[in-house]
Amino acid sequence: MSSKDRDREPQAPLTPAMFHILLALADGEKHGYAILKEVADRTGGKVQLSAGTLYGIIKRLDESGWILEKSQRPDIGFDDERRRYYQLTETGRRVAMAEASRLQEMVEMARAKRLVRKPRLA
Amino acid sequence: MPDDRPRISDRIFRMALAVLPSDFRGNYANEMHRVFREQQREAGERDGFAGLMKLWWETLTGLLTTGPREHWEILKQDVFYALRMMRKNFGFTIVAVLTLALGIGANTAIFSVVNAVLLSPLPYPKGRELVILRQQAQKQGVDDLAFSVKEIEDYRAQNGTFSGVAEYHSMTFTLLGRDEPLRVQTGVVSANYFDLFGIKPIQGRTFREDDDKLGAPAVLLVSYEFWKNSLGGDPNIVGKTFRMNDRVHTVVGVLPPVPQYPVENDVYMPTVACPFRGSKAMMEGRDHRMMNVFARMKDSVKLGAAGADVETIAGRLMQDYPKFYPASMGYRTITVPLKGELIKDARPTLLILLGATGFVLLIACANVANLTLARMTQRERELAVRSALGAGRSRLLRQLLTESVLIAALGAGLGLLFASGGMDLLQGFAARFTPRAREIRIDYVVLLFTFIVAAGTSIVFGSLAAFLSRESLAAGLKEGTGGASASRRRHRVRSLLIVSQIALSFLLLTGAGLMLRSFVKLQRVDPGFVPQHILAMKVSPNFTKYTKNDQYRALSNRMLESAKMRPGVMSVAISSSFPFDPDSVVFGLGINPYLIEGRPLKDGEAQPTSAARVASADYFKLLGIPILEGRSFTEADTKDAQQVAIVNQALVRHHWAGEDPIGHRISFDDGKTWQTIVGVVGDTKELALNQPADEQVYVPVDQYPQIGSLLVRTMGDPMSVARDIRQSVYDVDPDTALTHMQSLESARSATLTSPRLTTDLLAVFAGLALVMAATGIGGIMALTVSQRLREIGIRMAMGAKPRDILRMVLRQGLGLGLTGIVVGLLAAIGLTRLLQTLLFEISPTDPITFGAVGLVLVSAAVISCLIPARRAAKTDPLAALRFE
Repeated sequence: MSSKDRDREPQAPLTPAMFHILLALADGEKHGYAILKEVADRTGGKVQLSAGTLYGIIKRLDESGWILEKSQRPDIGFDDERRRYYQLTETGRRVAMAEASRLQEMVEMARAKRLVRKPRLA
Repeated sequence: MPDDRPRISDRIFRMALAVLPSDFRGNYANEMHRVFREQQREAGERDGFAGLMKLWWETLTGLLTTGPREHWEILKQDVFYALRMMRKNFGFTIVAVLTLALGIGANTAIFSVVNAVLLSPLPYPKGRELVILRQQAQKQGVDDLAFSVKEIEDYRAQNGTFSGVAEYHSMTFTLLGRDEPLRVQTGVVSANYFDLFGIKPIQGRTFREDDDKLGAPAVLLVSYEFWKNSLGGDPNIVGKTFRMNDRVHTVVGVLPPVPQYPVENDVYMPTVACPFRGSKAMMEGRDHRMMNVFARMKDSVKLGAAGADVETIAGRLMQDYPKFYPASMGYRTITVPLKGELIKDARPTLLILLGATGFVLLIACANVANLTLARMTQRERELAVRSALGAGRSRLLRQLLTESVLIAALGAGLGLLFASGGMDLLQGFAARFTPRAREIRIDYVVLLFTFIVAAGTSIVFGSLAAFLSRESLAAGLKEGTGGASASRRRHRVRSLLIVSQIALSFLLLTGAGLMLRSFVKLQRVDPGFVPQHILAMKVSPNFTKYTKNDQYRALSNRMLESAKMRPGVMSVAISSSFPFDPDSVVFGLGINPYLIEGRPLKDGEAQPTSAARVASADYFKLLGIPILEGRSFTEADTKDAQQVAIVNQALVRHHWAGEDPIGHRISFDDGKTWQTIVGVVGDTKELALNQPADEQVYVPVDQYPQIGSLLVRTMGDPMSVARDIRQSVYDVDPDTALTHMQSLESARSATLTSPRLTTDLLAVFAGLALVMAATGIGGIMALTVSQRLREIGIRMAMGAKPRDILRMVLRQGLGLGLTGIVVGLLAAIGLTRLLQTLLFEISPTDPITFGAVGLVLVSAAVISCLIPARRAAKTDPLAALRFE
């Protein structure tokens, strides 16, 4: 399989769960549970991924070449050796960016139609 | 305590992971488990029991959506890959699919017949309750005595186990009212007949009680086939009228297509409308027997109880009417399930054919398994590479199974097409054995059968191949091309497959061979007459015109004269029936009790019975039946002359063994009139070639004026004078109906149709088996040769001659062939016994057949080994050594 095949860009919009996982990995490598936690925390518990869903998506992202399983683990003393860490690849980052800007465009359009409230000040 | 809980939930979680594909599990199970445990801990701490329940719910639903999706992904990949491999190995695919299609198609076809005829319930509501009543005169060797009107009345009135008793007989009448007179087979039935069967008409109504009352307007029901074929499916047929037996009959309904037993009728009429049944003699004569009786058992009544019931009535009749049921008769009445009766002729043949197609399928499976194994050898490298790239073993097996399932599915689809293409042929074939042939179709049961057969097939040949490649996969990864022991084992399995193929082929060929030999013997049976150059037909004068014996005498003489004048006619005879007369074949010969002068019956002795036939003077000469003693009938045997009879040899053997029967007298009417025996003629086969000749008495047509058939010996092809003869009869009386006009030769060969068809089908299956087995053995030898090229090269370098190599390969192939033959021979000795009922004058272990089949298989093995053997013998030792 050529690397071109493997690192293909998405043909269709990503599913929200996929995008959440890419987002979770945007600021550095994480193991499975850390991804779940980050997604849950970031969405205030609205998006709760189950283990099955999570690894189903991880497998597909891995096969698409958007994420990579880290071969080098952090120091043993620092973390559990059995854990597997995932990080975003270059393609994965591009995909996430493309999806983000696609979403942004959508929001802009919605805003033009006055479908979006102004952000409230804290 | 805190340690116990996680352990149970761990186990449940691990179990739930089973919905995922094994590769996925292998890759992520531990991670997922770890994640789940952490989720569990957190949820428990945060939300307690409710949090845990929620987590479980989400986890399980997540697994249940991920699992199928992952499986589907793999399946898509596997199918795609399999299709690519199949296209790449197009030759293999074609051979495998075709082989399986033949195997599955043959099985589907025969099963569709078995399903419709043997397995399906009768197409009548609660068909299991329907029975046939059968009177028997055991001591006279009669197991199917018809019923008289009086007897039917008794059984109807006295039984306590039937919800209904219906009567039936069938006659031919002439139907006028269309463009030309139609001779119709007419079922004459009691009014409750169709209600008893639960048959609902597709148009109009069936009979009512009133239709069967004396003086009721005459009504008719038409059968579905007659309505479609002869009345053009006229949608307004109900209410139309026809003339029949000098009365106007109104059509009141059209029947649906249902099996008709014992014969297919064109129309049905109520009993009162039948002029014969309505006669005083029929209505009152307890021994005027002509009818069949059907009955429906009451809801909870078992067959045994119904049987006991009619047995009791029979006993009562014997007490009440000893004159009609003497002890010498051995009178009894039994009940027979209708379904058994409809299928009894078909069962042995169909089961044997189903067995044969089962063997064909097994051979096809073995063949495809062998092909697959051979291909595996070539694919070892590909599999090893894929394995090295990370495909797990189970993943590869799954891939291989997908390929075999696809091939089996294609084979099944094609096989189904073969089977449905042959539906008409199958119906025609089955119609020879059973009235249920029209029910044969490919329904969901047949589809299910095909599906199961295809699934079984792919499991048999696919898993075998997959299983064997598992070992070599493991070995192949280590180094080089497969471990030696795996390859040896595979070779052993292939040899085993070949041996079983040969053995199964031996079985099938033996079966076909026995049937063929039996058929040839049957065909060579001397029927006792010369059927060539004879035109035969049934003649039915319009009985309303001819009421007196003298009228019949005059009519028969005029018909003989008129036919004799036609060109191409050598001689003509009139008789009541003739050998292989289609009516006799269906209804039997008729049984006539008689007395022999000077031999009073001892107590309990059964009265002798015989078939009786009216014949004109030229009957014996025309049919080539030899006069063995005395004389034939002559013009002098008129009604006023001495009453005479001619008997056949079988009857003489029975009553006058070693004596001269000429001059003895017999009586068919309890001694009122006596016939003097004036001649003895040779025996003739009357109903079937495989049955011994019946005892027969002939009487002259002038003394017993009856016209049933006209026989014409011709110079050339009998059918060429058919039109002329028809005209000659019409010249005498245009109201005469002529039916069943055919050459006696074709009437004779019609009785051979079912054994011929069975033989043909078995031969086709055996031929398929032979071809598959021969290609199988040739294929495996070719493979062996190519694998042993190096060894052969060394042998030749060491001085072995090409002839030695040729002999070596042949010896190996023949070794397999002979082993298979021995196994097949042993199996055949045990199994061909099942054919016994279908065989005629041949033993199921006929040594000639066994020997011939062995010879055929050995030659097939030699021929198919010859190509690889010659290739081996031509090996260039240097090239062979370099090649490795």
